[in-house]
This record gives sequence, C-alpha cells and structure tokens, in this order.
Amino acid sequence: MNRQLAHLSDEALVLLAARSEESALAELYDRYGRAAYGLALRVLRDPELAEDAVQEAFLTLWRTAARFVPERSKASTWILTLVHRRAVDAVRREQRRRTDSLDWAAEPSVEGVDEDAWLRLQRERVQEALRKLPDAQREALELAYYGGLSQSELAERLGQPLGTIKSRMFGGLSRLRELLGEPGTEVSWTSTT
Amino acid sequence: MDLHDLTAAYAIDALDADEANDYEGHLARCEECREQLAELNDAAASLAFGTVAPVPPPRLRAAILDQVAAERSNVVPLRRRRWVTRGVAAATAVAACAAIVLALTVGRSNNPQIVSLGFTRGANGNATLMVSGLDPAPKGKTYEAWVIPKGKVPRPAGLFRGGKPTTVHLHGVPQKGAVVAVTVEPAGGSPAPTTTPLGTTTT
Repeated sequence: MNRQLAHLSDEALVLLAARSEESALAELYDRYGRAAYGLALRVLRDPELAEDAVQEAFLTLWRTAARFVPERSKASTWILTLVHRRAVDAVRREQRRRTDSLDWAAEPSVEGVDEDAWLRLQRERVQEALRKLPDAQREALELAYYGGLSQSELAERLGQPLGTIKSRMFGGLSRLRELLGEPGTEVSWTSTT
Repeated sequence: MDLHDLTAAYAIDALDADEANDYEGHLARCEECREQLAELNDAAASLAFGTVAPVPPPRLRAAILDQVAAERSNVVPLRRRRWVTRGVAAATAVAACAAIVLALTVGRSNNPQIVSLGFTRGANGNATLMVSGLDPAPKGKTYEAWVIPKGKVPRPAGLFRGGKPTTVHLHGVPQKGAVVAVTVEPAGGSPAPTTTPLGTTTT
C-alpha cells in the first residue's frame, strides 16, 4: 500500500483532498476507514448498508473538503461525524430498529475479529471512560449514538421527560470529554514528536 | 424550546430532521453554541472508537477511490482559507511538543510545498516554533510568526527568513488553545498580518 503521505497530519490531508489529490483521500481512508466501517456496522448492523454509509461519507468528504476549517474541528472528528450522520440517517430510513428490546445497542462480540492493536487500545480507552459514567448517562449516549435513536424516541423508550434525556446526554458527553481529555488519552492520529 | 439545550443531542445526531434544521439555524447566530459544539463533537466522535471494528471488505476502498476518480473531472479549486482575525475556537488542544504538519501551496508551483510547523512549549513557559519546508523569503519580504489568543486578534511573535529549518523563539507565551500562524510580510514585519497564512498550528 502506498503510504507516501503517511507523515502528513489529517488536516494536511484534507487540504490536499480539497485540491483533488486522490492519494490524500486514500490515506485518510487508510487511517479512518476501518473505524468508520466499525461504527457504521455497529449502528446499521448490516454490512452492505455499512459499506454504503462509509462510501457516502468519504465522497462527501471529497466533495466538501474545501469547506473544512482546521481551526474549527479536528479532521478525524469531521470524518467520523460524517460517517455517523450517514449511518443514523440510513438506520432511520430503513426503519430497521427493533421495538421489542433495548439490547440492540449492546456491544458486539470481539470474538473472531482480528483487531488492530491501535484500534483495540482506543476501544478499551473509550469503553473504560463510558463505564465511568453514571448508568443513566451511559445508557442515553449509547442508545442515541450506537442505536440511532432520537432524543424524542429515547424519552419515550425510557419513560423519561425530554428534559431529563437532554441533560443526561449533555452531562454524559461533557463528562466523557473530560475523561478522554486527561493526559495521555488523546484519540488522535496527529503526528507527534 | 431553548435551542441552546440541543447541542449535545446535535453532536450525537439525536435530533430528528426538523429539530436539526432549527438547531443549525440557531448555530449560525450563536457563537457560544458553536464553541460548545466543537468541544462536544470531539467527544462524540471518540465514541466511534468505542466499538469493535472489523476489517472492511477491500472493495469498499476501491469503490470509494473509483468514484472519486470518476468525479475528478469536476475539479473544485481549493479556496484559500480565509484569514481568521477574530480569533479561533481552537478545537485541537495539542500537547506540548506535538507537531502538526501542514501541506500548503506556496507560489504557483503545481507541487505543493510541504511546510511543517512544530510548536513546543519549554519547561520555563517560553515557546518556540520549528519551521521547515519554506523557501527563503523573497527579496524585500520576511516571514512573520503570529500568536492568536483565543478570541483575540493576531499578535506579532517574531520574524524569520526561511530557506532552511528554523527555530523561532516566539515573543510572549501563548495561552493554551492559541493559534500560531505564519505569513509573508514586507521586510521589517507588519503590526497585523497582510497576507493569508502559509500555515497554522494550535498550541
């Protein structure tokens, strides 16, 4: 695999993609394609739909790279936000959600997955942070983010007022940010020296 | 409905389409929400790593790159990034000694010149910027480094010539989250930047 651009930051690659440099998009895919696919698969639970979501997200990245503002966002955040949005749109469109149980947002098994060491490290770190959240906050975040439920659906499903759901999501996400922001826990591909 | 309340839900895509539209309209007018969203977006995106990621089928990569090649004839030229004068909500808090490498086009060359900016904060609080990849400044010009504290205007932080890897000792101590930028200026430097930055990095 050609990794001539491996020394560049994510943000630099987006700038090159904005100049229609295909190899920059390929490099971004090589960095985030697997995480993107894992995320889409988790939300959609269907390999074909997951592939479609990832493909659409990377094409959106390609088409709109010139609008990316590095001061506003990390490139990785932007890419994974695009993927997540596509996956959630698709899951809502397909109406594949089950109505009978809540466990469909549960973590899939690691068994049989040849997990990349770096990705495993990131997964364990994020999961550890999630475990530190109060149950109600974790539940709201997981059902919304991995399950694709809207806040109104969450309120209905959990039998809680919308305001409670909003504050659980805000509290959970803010706390998660603090936990992940602690030294040595940055999730990033940014080259460091 | 208080739209401020929707930032977290928007960050994790938990709004329905109408709510998301309303929120985006609000976002365009609310700097506070934009800053908060930038922070929460990073946390939301890190959730993407919280699940097992099997290897995607190789055809996925091929399909994306094929599609991109097919669209390449409709090239949209790079818009130069607009110079940010009102300060920047730095979404990336880069730890001391972290370097961000930016690829930029300098001059008319078709080959992008790779400009590398590395920001380092010393133990005693002073700060240096390591710059490489810049050709010597043209005659009558100089490179100027700028520190842009969050929410403030750019402050001159030192002049240098380029042409070889250079360490610039920045004037003053940038606060965490400040942006460091480099521009070309008339010899002697400028009190405020007059050209588009060749590169930026966050501190």
